[in-house]
Amino acid sequence: MTPRLVEVRKNVLKKNDELAHTLRLRFAEAGVYVVSLVSSPGAGKTTLLERLLRDLGRRSRVAALVGDLATENDAVRLARSGAPVRQITTGTVCHLEAQMVATALEGWNLAELDYLFIENVGNLVCPSSYDLGENLRLVALSVTEGEDKPLKYPSIFHTSDVAVVTKWDLSSAVDFDWQAARGNIVAVRPGMPIVRLSAKTGEGVEELLSLMLICGSHKPA
Amino acid sequence: MHELSIATGIVEVAVEEGERHGGRVEVVHLKLGALSGVVREALEFSWDLACQETPLAGARLEIEAAAGSELQVTALEIADGNP
Repeated sequence: MTPRLVEVRKNVLKKNDELAHTLRLRFAEAGVYVVSLVSSPGAGKTTLLERLLRDLGRRSRVAALVGDLATENDAVRLARSGAPVRQITTGTVCHLEAQMVATALEGWNLAELDYLFIENVGNLVCPSSYDLGENLRLVALSVTEGEDKPLKYPSIFHTSDVAVVTKWDLSSAVDFDWQAARGNIVAVRPGMPIVRLSAKTGEGVEELLSLMLICGSHKPA
Repeated sequence: MHELSIATGIVEVAVEEGERHGGRVEVVHLKLGALSGVVREALEFSWDLACQETPLAGARLEIEAAAGSELQVTALEIADGNP
């Protein structure tokens, strides 16, 4: 007998999307603004986050979740800022999923926070598919990585809201071509705001903090 | 490389829908966008492993390429009667 064809039209990531939607409503209700960070390993996400927690922590209530395959190293580093920090260790999983965020938040009173940062696993491929319920996704590209990263990994740039060029204090030492990098970023995501930032000197930090609030593509419902 | 977990997600959707429609799922049709972040070859490689020990064991995956970020099970081919 010939098999019958039934139409389905179901998104494969439906479960994650639904859970992310639930998280987004929960964040909105608690009045917490959620920013996720993605980049390749070593682009400076944790150093950037240390800086943001320290500078923003002076005037707002901030907290962070940080994802890695193993170790609590990043959480220990970030906790020095004084902000509440939790590590998510994924084992072998190459990205964070909404469920991991929901689990990591258990026992936290979100209403006591103004900002929550979620540092994803260092990976320019897999995190792009998973909505975490964040208001804004920051993608970091360091000057030591090369200007063509956005062309090589378009989906992560395409799904992000703001690009941060990190380690800016090293740009002249590595002959970083800013015009080329900017061209490549906007080729993948036209109109994307880009901030040149040095977590070491503080250059660009205030610019990023003010951009963060106006560029969220997922405004609380 | 998260294709195995994506493949497992496809199997979950197909098993759920297959049960709803009744019968044995023989083919799963998937629309896969270039911007989905999922590599076709790696997904095909993971497919049989993801189907193992599920009602989908032995089912085929048919991939239709798309331009956007689609990652959607579009249709199932279901054989009626006893497997």
